[in-house]
Amino acid sequence: MGILETVRQRKLFFDGGMGSLLVEKGLRPGELPETWNVAHPEVLQEIHLQYLRAGSDEITTNTFGANGLKFVGDGDFSLKRVVTAAVENAKIARERFAEERRVLADGMPADVTNGAAGTEPCAYIGLDLGPTGKLLKPLGDLAFEDAYALYKEVVIYGAEAGADFVLVETMSDGYEAKAAILAAKENCDLPICATMIFDKKGKLLTGGNVESTVALLEGLGVSMLGVNCGLGPVQMKDILKEILKAASVPVIVNPNAGLPRTENGKTVYDIDAEEFACVMEEIADMGANALGGCCGTSPEHIAKMTARCLDKKQVLPENKNRTVISSYAQAVEIGQSPVLIGERINPTGKSKFKQALRDHDIEYILREGVTQQEHGAHVLDVNVGLPEINEPSMMEEVVRELQSVIDLPLQIDTSDITAMERALRIYNGKALINSVNGKEESMRAVFPLVKKYGGVVVALTLDESGIPDTADGRIAIAEKIYRTAAEYGIDRKDILIDALCLTVSSDSRGALTTLETLRRVRDELHGKTVLGVSNISFGLPQRENINAAFFTMAMQNGLNAAIINPNSEAMMRSYYSFKALAGLDPQCGEYISVYGNQAAVVGGVLAGTSAVGTSGAAGMTCGSFSGAAGSRTGTDRPAGAGAADAAAGRTAGCAGGTRDAKSPGEGGAAGGELSRCILRGLKEQAQASVRELLAKRDSLSIINEEMIPALDQVGKGFENGTVFLPQLLMSAEAAKAAFEVIKEHMSRSGETREKKGKIILATVKGDIHDIGKNIVKVLLENYDYEVIDLGKDVPPETVAAAAAGNHVPLVGLSALMTTTVPAMEETIRLLRRKTPWVKIMVGGAVLTEEYAKTIGADRYCKDAMASVNYAEETIRKRTD
Amino acid sequence: MDIDYRETLRYLGYKNQAADAAVLALVSQCWEELDRTVSPRSFWREYPLTVAGDEIDAWIFQTRSSALGRNLKGCEQILVFAASLGAGVDLLIQRYEKLQMSKAVVMQAAAAAYLEKYCDRVNEELRQRFEADGWYLRPRFSPGYGDFSLKCQTAIVAALEAGKRVGITLTDSLLMAPSKSVTAVIGVGRTPLACEVKGCEACGKTDCAFRR
Repeated sequence: MGILETVRQRKLFFDGGMGSLLVEKGLRPGELPETWNVAHPEVLQEIHLQYLRAGSDEITTNTFGANGLKFVGDGDFSLKRVVTAAVENAKIARERFAEERRVLADGMPADVTNGAAGTEPCAYIGLDLGPTGKLLKPLGDLAFEDAYALYKEVVIYGAEAGADFVLVETMSDGYEAKAAILAAKENCDLPICATMIFDKKGKLLTGGNVESTVALLEGLGVSMLGVNCGLGPVQMKDILKEILKAASVPVIVNPNAGLPRTENGKTVYDIDAEEFACVMEEIADMGANALGGCCGTSPEHIAKMTARCLDKKQVLPENKNRTVISSYAQAVEIGQSPVLIGERINPTGKSKFKQALRDHDIEYILREGVTQQEHGAHVLDVNVGLPEINEPSMMEEVVRELQSVIDLPLQIDTSDITAMERALRIYNGKALINSVNGKEESMRAVFPLVKKYGGVVVALTLDESGIPDTADGRIAIAEKIYRTAAEYGIDRKDILIDALCLTVSSDSRGALTTLETLRRVRDELHGKTVLGVSNISFGLPQRENINAAFFTMAMQNGLNAAIINPNSEAMMRSYYSFKALAGLDPQCGEYISVYGNQAAVVGGVLAGTSAVGTSGAAGMTCGSFSGAAGSRTGTDRPAGAGAADAAAGRTAGCAGGTRDAKSPGEGGAAGGELSRCILRGLKEQAQASVRELLAKRDSLSIINEEMIPALDQVGKGFENGTVFLPQLLMSAEAAKAAFEVIKEHMSRSGETREKKGKIILATVKGDIHDIGKNIVKVLLENYDYEVIDLGKDVPPETVAAAAAGNHVPLVGLSALMTTTVPAMEETIRLLRRKTPWVKIMVGGAVLTEEYAKTIGADRYCKDAMASVNYAEETIRKRTD
Repeated sequence: MDIDYRETLRYLGYKNQAADAAVLALVSQCWEELDRTVSPRSFWREYPLTVAGDEIDAWIFQTRSSALGRNLKGCEQILVFAASLGAGVDLLIQRYEKLQMSKAVVMQAAAAAYLEKYCDRVNEELRQRFEADGWYLRPRFSPGYGDFSLKCQTAIVAALEAGKRVGITLTDSLLMAPSKSVTAVIGVGRTPLACEVKGCEACGKTDCAFRR
């Protein structure tokens, strides 16, 4: 009988801590515990044996920190030897224990091997996969695929050596857990269990909560999940409650021996073995299915615990039947209250978006995402399909970027299976997948991905014979999809039936068919539904009218998730109103919070949130500058004062007349309103002002006579210490906003403006702090350079290849720490060899003029303005 | 946590100049967002210590550093300390680096100030606790200060199990991730210091742009 059958029958007992026992036996600080697998196998065997005697059903191999980062090379302590020895030690302990039992039972036969039919092994060996000790990119320096590779190696050795299951444990990052679980899934056939560290508030170190983590782990198909380490059993009770509410698989609880404190140099815990066992008994009664211990627990803890819990009734969690997707930070349940999926990250019918994809303008895409989040989207659809771009790599990149900036779950929207798989692989959570349909070919391609990576999949009710005209036809396809999904082991809770809507202008009964389908999926199939709502109005004028009305009707007929434009006021009005009317918004609280402060509808158009927001923000920045003089005296200015100024600023300060207070860089400035807006960092006003100017003057003169002089002036102020970094950047942002307006104007009139030249920027290998480099980028772009941003932690070869490939005249390198300056030096050496024409500027906290010279750079730039000056100097010289 | 305008502005390069209201508004917005985002954690352990001039044996690491030697002079034990604001702060800074660079730099400065304040608070609790038993703490001193080698990070992070307890990991180049993290040692002696030199004043880098 395997571990999964055992846990279905009775409480299962894990073992306890290992590290503190090894320290007792003489493990020194800094010594890798896993070396003892080879150097002192008898110690490990003894510890395992003690746990077995204490009643543990499983023993965890001493491989917590065994990975290719710590165990490099061959020899006695090669990774393979250390992992193999760990499993061997567990096996030997298990044989000795079986032998002891046999003697006790007076010759009764006992099978010590796993899997023999009809017999029960006396214990299961869990191959321990702990955290790598590295933080994954983008916050750390370990790539997801590299983490995967590290785990893969251990899984292969451990499975080969005879482990019974894989135990992914002490994970404080869901993304790292995903890498470990995928490595186990793809490289062995053993069951996988995963336990995470939550803090007292039920959060992972990287921000996920219990619900998002359970969604992720169950999506990936773990057989059991739970919590270990970090807390004592007392504090874990609240976490357990949360897990039991969400989980559908058996739950593991492996706490520390209490909360730690240091006493005379030793770590001690706030409760003893007896109290530990007492609380574990409560935890067993609450519904934990597998119980054990972590740091500080010993065979004594486990013996006392098993004695109390052995005869407890095992109650397995029921299938929760909830449809849940997640991001790294949060879960979104698709249930009674309609979920909004923002549709704007999609090039269809959007020429600007298409251009952004062609120009590789990721920032544009991120802004589309942020805007939708601000308007209330719960999920973002991501579609980057365009014939002339490489969709799989673009999809992967956009998903990576979006999930590093936005904490909403994503809907991977593509018909390209490679793009779908690449996105799902690196997605940090349980994604929505758009889409599968009733065609055999589609189901065969998509379902294996859903099963492997986890996810909720949108299922279109069409098949080889097209879209059925009737609800009957669509329901039949939905049933077929459910059936086929079940064959792949995909639960119907992870399927959203798309009832499909065709444009009502071509079929006047089309909407009714869709609504009937929605209703019947809900009532007859007890399934969940989704709809791309805006399709309904194709070909009609004032599409929002139809969309909003249809949206309300669809929600009333049971729609669970809607793919809509959340930036549309009309759609959001339908949404909030429906929730208020359908009993989904207690005391209309949400409705009032959104609309309570808005002006009434005027002429059919509401002064919507976005409009109010813009003018409010404008007032804030404008007014706050007019308050500047008052704040010079002290820094502890109450926060409310800025807002009061802002209100005043909206009426007086922003009228466009002269102002009393000058921004610090403004002394003696010539130029008009636009210059002033740039000097003061006023984005919206800068845009308004440039629009006015464009009616009277040509673009180039505006740039050269208004904007550049203003930027120069701010730059000079920065250099002589009267303007500070935040102001320099606010001015840059205002200028950038104005440039956008000019760019649009120019593209409409067919004008173009040459960039001054290409510049590569990179933060060198080993360095993951790139704020300095990003500041330089903002400024260089304002001065009309095309910046090729290679990001952070960039290997020398990548910089050299990009410099050669783009034939750039100038490369800027940034390094923060003394430890990364050698990488900068290496990059410079390589550039000198491969691209001798390139000038190199360097910057970063530890660099000095002297240091820069030593490592062979052409110029040390002490700040961002110095970089701009050097670019102007070198590139202008070349072009003159 | 109460907004510390002064320290935030210092990290932004202000010396004694006043910031304008727009910048002050950004500072206060950033602190508010940090309050919602941070999950501060800290952990410490005590180890026996021997100091002979610049030779330091802190049990979990041995190093040679005249700056640290001076700092730990007369101490019998050492507290090894780690604290972090958590990964959420890095994500927040990263978000604004993509969306609004001016806010990113202020957020970065505010987070640095926030972290120092948090460390000071934990440090103060430790001071009271130890003084109750007749022990006195020296100012905390971090790897990378003066000639205290950054290489000691590895031993400190390992000894504290900082990965799982505080969430601190090291990159190959010994940077801490998440970035808003601190490791430090704190000397413990039987005698109080007559004049406490700490922070910038204790640091040898006199040409630092951020020196107080």
